[in-house]
Amino acid sequence: MLAPASASDRILRRAVAESSIAEYLAFRLSGETYALPLSDIREILTQHVLTPVPRAPKEILGIVSVRGQLVTVLDPRVRLRLKPQPQTKRSRILAVLAPSGETMGLFVDEVLQVYRLAPNEIEHTSQALGGNAVEHVVGIGRRDGVLLFLLSLPPLVAMG
Amino acid sequence: MADDRAREDFFSEAQELIEGFARDLLLLEEGEQRGEPDPDVVNEVFRAVHTLKGLAGLFGAPRMGTLAHNLEEILDEIRLGKRRLERNLLDQLFRAVDVLGAMLLAERQNDRSPMPEADAFIDELAHSRKGRASEPVQSRTEYIIDPELLAVLTEYEEHRLQTNVMNGFALYRIRAQFNLLSLDEELDQLKATVKPLGEIITFLPSGDGGDHESIRLEILMASKAQSTTLTATLSSSNIQIEEVAKRTREIEPRYEASLTPVPASTSSINAAVERPPAAPRSSDISELRPQKQPEPVQGMSLRSVSQTVRVDIQKLDRLMNVVGELALVKSSMARITDRVRAMAGLRELASEMHRVQRTFERHLSAMQDGILEVRMVPLGQIFDKLGRVVRQASREVGKQVNLVITGAETEVDKLIVEELSDPLVHMIRNAIDHGIEGAQDRIAVGKPETGTVAINAFQKGSHVVIEIEDDGRGIDEERIREVAVRRGFITEQEAKELGRRESLNLIFVPGFSTKNAADMLAGRGVGMDIVKTNINRLGGFVDIQSEKGIGTKMTVTLPITLAILSSLVIGVGAQTFALPLSSVQEALAFEEGAIRSVEGRDFMSLRGTTLPIARLSRLFNIADSTSARGGRGFVVVISAGARRLGLVVDHLEGQQDIVIKPLGASLRQVVRGFAGATELGDQRVGLVLDTPSLVDEVLSTNSEFSGKNTFEPRSEPRGLGPS
Repeated sequence: MLAPASASDRILRRAVAESSIAEYLAFRLSGETYALPLSDIREILTQHVLTPVPRAPKEILGIVSVRGQLVTVLDPRVRLRLKPQPQTKRSRILAVLAPSGETMGLFVDEVLQVYRLAPNEIEHTSQALGGNAVEHVVGIGRRDGVLLFLLSLPPLVAMG
Repeated sequence: MADDRAREDFFSEAQELIEGFARDLLLLEEGEQRGEPDPDVVNEVFRAVHTLKGLAGLFGAPRMGTLAHNLEEILDEIRLGKRRLERNLLDQLFRAVDVLGAMLLAERQNDRSPMPEADAFIDELAHSRKGRASEPVQSRTEYIIDPELLAVLTEYEEHRLQTNVMNGFALYRIRAQFNLLSLDEELDQLKATVKPLGEIITFLPSGDGGDHESIRLEILMASKAQSTTLTATLSSSNIQIEEVAKRTREIEPRYEASLTPVPASTSSINAAVERPPAAPRSSDISELRPQKQPEPVQGMSLRSVSQTVRVDIQKLDRLMNVVGELALVKSSMARITDRVRAMAGLRELASEMHRVQRTFERHLSAMQDGILEVRMVPLGQIFDKLGRVVRQASREVGKQVNLVITGAETEVDKLIVEELSDPLVHMIRNAIDHGIEGAQDRIAVGKPETGTVAINAFQKGSHVVIEIEDDGRGIDEERIREVAVRRGFITEQEAKELGRRESLNLIFVPGFSTKNAADMLAGRGVGMDIVKTNINRLGGFVDIQSEKGIGTKMTVTLPITLAILSSLVIGVGAQTFALPLSSVQEALAFEEGAIRSVEGRDFMSLRGTTLPIARLSRLFNIADSTSARGGRGFVVVISAGARRLGLVVDHLEGQQDIVIKPLGASLRQVVRGFAGATELGDQRVGLVLDTPSLVDEVLSTNSEFSGKNTFEPRSEPRGLGPS
């Protein structure tokens, strides 16, 4: 029987992975550096035309078509209470898979790079951050003097 | 890859089914020792085996399919009481679990070697079934049960009824009111409540007491409990319990005779009907019920499975999306060709590109047609069901009705056919209930005694038209206007201005019904407003014509497919929207001076009638609109039933066939007024307006319909005007 062997193998591998390096995609929002687990990101959309949706709440920037599928694009800055920024050439949309199974877009000012962070580089305290940020920021990563605000995807894309 | 995953799913689902089967067998064994196995568990096992058979067929596991088939037949006999669940039969069923497990393992390892033991077991099962005659069960007591109820019992329900009667259980008739929206949950809850006391044998929508939000069900239940206990358990204001009276005379053993319908004194069967014909084949009627028994076994041979492919319609949607993408590629190619043509010395290359592009276009449209064709099914699929509805409904109201069907071969998108069934059933019932007169009345006005309901379907361009016509008494237009005024749907002034067609269309307004006394069919299912909403949702439109004393004709116009929608593309400010062409009546030049404002609402006259006006720029809060700033624009007249609305837009881009796509679930939760969106080329996305909901919204808002955000869905009933 093949199945049990491969299953245990998978569990073993996951356990090893969890105990060590985690990958984060860093991006810029209103001048600050934020990051999401790389595994949450399905795609980075560069060329896109955002179609605004009348009557939508302001955290919804609009919709884009990604290979025939309509994706709702959110503005994380509204959720994080950050200052709005104009769209520039560097703006990107991160296609993410929401817990509901829906693919959603997150509008960011600029995509920076992927960071591989060891556990000792992540500070799991968000006590220092007040206000609304606590709900979204699950940790702070430090690397070469750069401060990364690590976000958690589910509350960021939750609606209603 | 995809195949591997599907196979993997098959293994896991089959494994689950077999495990569930084994668990349920244990329960059955327990039940058998106590005397009678729980019928719900028998059903559960039957369903599991039936599903397993389907799976095996789908994944080319013929041996497993054959075994499942044999098991299914045996279990069906047990369900129907034709065979007792005995010790040695249980042993066989338990062995089947092991054999199925071994077969699944062999499939998984792609082991095609013979399995003599399994084959022998299948033979054994098949033999044990042969030569068994069904054992008719005799009932000793006769109950006076409504003939309508008896006529629609399935074979299984008949069996349960008899078993319970034989066990000396009393029968109860329960009438309960259910909310249409939560019908399933409420029913499940009721079933769970009565389970310790007895068994619900069947339930049917009852004729009276329902309205457009609720339905009254008549439930036939067998219970060992006293009626007082039952009443205490089910104490609720909207449940009535009544014990079914027994009859004492000896009866013949044959079932048909024992349950010969006895018209109760309260029976509303018309004198024109002596008695319902002998119980019709129950399976014919079963679809009328809110809840179905598991589908009867189809005579599906493994051979036919290998030649046809069952395809999830969503996969076809995905293919259609790819076609949509290719169409966008095509228009990009056309633009590049134009640029090349403009370059010096490249004319020849340009015309070659143009030729290639034309070929591409041709193949692409062939591909699109091919995909659409696969989605098509003949309307006959639902017309067959309508025949049964007519038989049933006419019997209930004691009218003689003949159904004439033409155009059953007309094909329409599978998704549309599925959604169309309920509205059609409702319209047919309305025709029989309200349209066709009783035999006496018909003879009195010189019409043939038997009424006729005609269904005619045909294709008209990219639409399918279905007409439902009856030769009944017609709709009294005057009376409709009267009622509409009385209920505050329209003012007397408006009533005077309404045209004939618009008056008739008032019956689609929510909460409208001209029948005061609820008769047998009223309250069954949904009202005409729901019919209209359902058809609108399919991008279709329903219209009504009626001649007093001569008859009524409902015309349903539907797009042939949901995959492609004819639309009018319009612009407001920098934004582009699409309107389903089926709801657009006309477009005219807009002139600010033509607008009259009354109590904050805008109107204009259109050929002698008053047309309410809404500016899309204001509805949607779009700032940079030229028409809103006094510039030129257009009025697009859209309609939803009898109600019309002029939408002011900046410009018309023209007509375009579009592939409509749903908005993301999270967006749909918070925004109303859009049916979806579509790609318009150049990466542009255009939102498709949900015209019925916009018309409702504008006409139901009392005074202002500015572009404020309205996130909560409104729940108050919407009429034509302030009520």
